[in-house]
Parts: sequence; structure tokens; C-alpha cells
Amino acid sequence: MLAGLKSKWAYLAAAALLVFLILIPFDWFLGRYTTIMIFIGIHTIVTVGLCLLMGYTGQVSLGQAAFFGMGAYISAILSKTYDVNPWLAMLIAAVMTGAFAYIIGYPIFRLKGNYLAMATLGLGMIIYILFIQLAQFTGGPEGMSGIPYLSIGGFVFNTSFRRYFLVWFFCLAVLLISQNIVSSRAGRALRAVHGSESAAESIGINVTQFKVKVLVLSAVYASLAGSLFVHHLRFVSPQPFDFLASVKLVVMAVIGGLASIWGAIFGAGTTHILSDELLLRFGEWDVIIYGLILMLVMIFMPEGLFVKLKEVFERLRLRYRRRGAEP
Amino acid sequence: MSESVILETKGLTKAFGGLVAVDKVDLSIEAGKITAIIGPNGAGKTTLFNLITGVYPVSSGQIYFQGGLLNNVPAHKRASMGIVRTFQHVHLFGNMTVLENVMSGRHPRSSYGFFEAALRLPKARREEEAISLNAIKYLNLVGLGTHAEHDALSLPLGQQKLLAVARAMATEPRLILLDEPGAGLNTSEKRQLSDLIRNIREMGISVVLVEHDMPLVMGLAEWVIVLDSGQKIAEGTASQVQKDPKVIAAYLGEEVE
Repeated sequence: MLAGLKSKWAYLAAAALLVFLILIPFDWFLGRYTTIMIFIGIHTIVTVGLCLLMGYTGQVSLGQAAFFGMGAYISAILSKTYDVNPWLAMLIAAVMTGAFAYIIGYPIFRLKGNYLAMATLGLGMIIYILFIQLAQFTGGPEGMSGIPYLSIGGFVFNTSFRRYFLVWFFCLAVLLISQNIVSSRAGRALRAVHGSESAAESIGINVTQFKVKVLVLSAVYASLAGSLFVHHLRFVSPQPFDFLASVKLVVMAVIGGLASIWGAIFGAGTTHILSDELLLRFGEWDVIIYGLILMLVMIFMPEGLFVKLKEVFERLRLRYRRRGAEP
Repeated sequence: MSESVILETKGLTKAFGGLVAVDKVDLSIEAGKITAIIGPNGAGKTTLFNLITGVYPVSSGQIYFQGGLLNNVPAHKRASMGIVRTFQHVHLFGNMTVLENVMSGRHPRSSYGFFEAALRLPKARREEEAISLNAIKYLNLVGLGTHAEHDALSLPLGQQKLLAVARAMATEPRLILLDEPGAGLNTSEKRQLSDLIRNIREMGISVVLVEHDMPLVMGLAEWVIVLDSGQKIAEGTASQVQKDPKVIAAYLGEEVE
């Protein structure tokens, strides 16, 4: 009974969200937010991967921007410098980034907790420096421009309106796929690793292998987002993939609720609006604000702001229904 | 003869630096029986479990399971071979419901992965249905069927321990190792546990338990092995072991009731 009710509400919420998302880019609705929504969609894709890795499997990554940047740069270099078809470039980027995650996965997961956090942080910094130093490929600190648009047949994604639908198509696909994974055999294995590694091992779960697999999945998501990012901006530079970017991604995941797939949209959205509308005024001091947000959320609502709001909404709804039932 | 032996160790030794936790232990666990391993604190009982389940590599000696050498088999592969254990400190998955805990025990008996799950392919749906049906079966075996949707850690300790047994049983073991299953349980919970363990034996599964609770051990075990300071000092039926002067001495005057 309760479960049926819940799923009815979930369907309603999903339908409402879909209609809302479709209407957003129209000028008579929220058209002026199209660009920011494109970035929110792109960051949601990265954040979902981080949720699977951190929230469900319990493995910290403070270097997720490295995978994001690898997708961006591989796509940019292949499609601009080597004239590879952008879709093929996107696929190659995802495969290469995934393979890279696979190779570093086994040594890096010999570490746990704070040590793992430090190692991923270091990884993020190394990759960031490579983006700057490999100037003959990446264009160095100035970056590279003139990256082609994505297109299907003769249909070119050359307006924000068109790219909005492209990005959100990928974003919703990633969200659905992740939702399916979480409630599956593999998803239970990931959560088991988080719950107790020794118990997971005792019931036949190959703990290291599942950690590596989820790292690869999160890297592929990040790479995909990076490719969409450069084909949207037609420009790439190292700055969006620095240490602060990795921290921001963690903030997005935490605000959305680490163990909540759909919270990722909310986390990415809140963080974006916060940083674009408010934190800009603080200049370089924004790092401190992110740190503060991270601390406050972790202390007062470790399940995440999104999950907390959902709880409050549930409580209000129950109270309203109870009052309605009384004569 | 060896047909009836499910697990055998020869000169099994584990040293942590200078400390020899398990010292040249020869064991022979008979199939289809309930065997208890007892001994004072620090006797090496839990270490022995950790060696059998592959948590630690052995220092020297051999472990044979159904005649095959087990020494170099990785821990996660031992479940699909038919060896499973429970833990002294329960180790449930707190981020799952009661049912999901048991469903995760079906891991070695199912095979679909990320790809099939992501796209909800027929294979995933078919296996998932079998997983949940089986999980409910094992949940009912331990009498927790009505708690399926509760959070695992919302259960009282007694039921948590039963849940851990259900999760282990869901892997369809040939041999189940129970690490202090009775610790922290009250009398009626212990009775329930004893019934469950006998039930498991009736299903043809060999049971080895480490336990401090002597009445529980004496009521259940068909064979008792006594460890002290990492060495096997005695074995036999419960009544034989109780009279053994070495066993009495090991418990330092602590009378074996």
C-alpha cells in the first residue's frame, strides 16, 4: 500500500520534471536560463558518477575533474587537430578515459579513506598540470578554440536551444542507467562494499574489482560530460579542470545527497546557481565558502540537502493528509 | 573415508610477526555434522576461521576443501565453492533493507553485471526475479519474512544475527562457519538459534561454530575441537571433551559445565 503510493508519487514527480525540463529553453518560459541549464546538465552527469563512487561504494575521489578534463581534451584534440568525427572522438575519449581509470584503479584502491582521498587529489593535480604543460597538443594555459559542433546528418547543434536538448538527453539517460544499476545485483555489490568489505568478500563479491568497475563507470560519465562541454563551448582551457573544480563536484554530490541518484540534478543546480549568482562576488574567497558549505552539510545533514528536503516534504504531506482526514 | 570429510587442515600455521596464533593444527571436519571449536580467549579460533575463508594467507600448512587445495584460492571465490561464514560482530550491510541483505547473498549464484543492469535486459530481469524469490525463501528460513522491507540495522541484535545467517545461507554453501552466533543473545533467542542450526544441518550442510556459550555448544555439537594458545589440545564428543584434564586445565579451573 505504502510502496504503491510512493511509486505513484515518483511517477508524477518524474512526469512533472520531464515536462518542466522540456519547457525550460523556450523564450516565453525560462529561455534565458538555457545556457546555465546546459552546464547544470553537464555537471549532473559527472556528479552522478561521483555519487555511485562515493555515496554507494564509499570510495572518495577528490580528483574527478581529471576524468572530466580528459574527456574534454581528447574530444577537442581529436575533432579539431585530427579532424576526427566528433561523435567518434567522444567515443574514443570515453574508452581512453575509462581505460586510464582501469589502469590506475588497481594500485589506487590499495589505499583507503584519507589516503585514497590524497591519492586522487594528487592524480587530479598531475592531470591538470599535464593539460598546461603538453602545450603542443593542448594549447597550454591559453587553451584551444574553434572546436567543431556536434551534428547529426545535416542537423548541427549550433544553438544553445539545440544543445540544451542534446545535453539533457545524455543527462537523463545517465540518470536512468545509474538508477537501474543501483537497484541491481551490481548495485547491491557496490553498496555491500560500502557496508562491510569483509562481509562483501565472504559472500563472494570481488571487492577490488567492483571498486575499479565503478571508478571506470564514473570516469566514463565524466569523460562524456567533458566531450559535451567542449562541443558546447567550442573552446577548452585547463581552468575548468583544476582542484577547485574537483571540490565543486564533491559539493554538488554532497548537496544532492551522496546516496541519491536524482539528487545529483539538485546538487549540480544549487551549486551552479550559488556560484554564478552569489559566490562570484567573493572572488577567490569562494573556496572558503565551498569548504564551509561542505562542512555544514556533512555535519547537519549527512544524507544531503536534497534528501533532507524530500523528508520535510513527506512530513508536510502526511500532516496535510491527516488534517484533511479529520472532520 | 575421505568422502565424508568436507574440510581438512594439515599443519596449519599462522604467525603474526613473532606471535603464532594458529600452530600446526590438523583438523578434519566431517560432512553433514555440527562441529564446535571451543577454547579460551586468544586460542586462535577466529584466526582459524579467517584462514579457512581466506581473509589471511596461511603461513604454512594446507587447507583442503572437498579434497581440493584451498590455500591459494582468493577469498571471494570461496563462497561460490561452497564455504561461507558469519562474523562475531555481525557485519550487516547497514545501507540496505533486510531483504536486500539476503539478496546480496545470492551474488555467487547469479551472474548478470553492470551492462545488463543498466539497460534492464531480459537476463537482468529474469535473474533479479530469481534472486528475490530465493532471498525471500532464506528470509523465511530464519523467520524474518515479515521484516523484509525494514532497514537491516533497525532490527534488534538477535534478529540481526539471524539475518546474517540468512545472508550466508543464500549463497547455498556446503559448509557454513558461524563465529560466536550466540554472543549477546537472550535465552529464547538462543533456543531459536539452536533450532535454526539444527535445521541447517538437516539440509545436509556442514556447520562449524566457534562459541563461548558452553550449554549451547554441548546441546548442539556432535564433535568438539578444543584449541588453546593456537594448538589443538583435544577433540571428541561433548561429554568426552568435558572430562579431558587438559581441557579443564586450559580453562584454568573454569569448570566446563
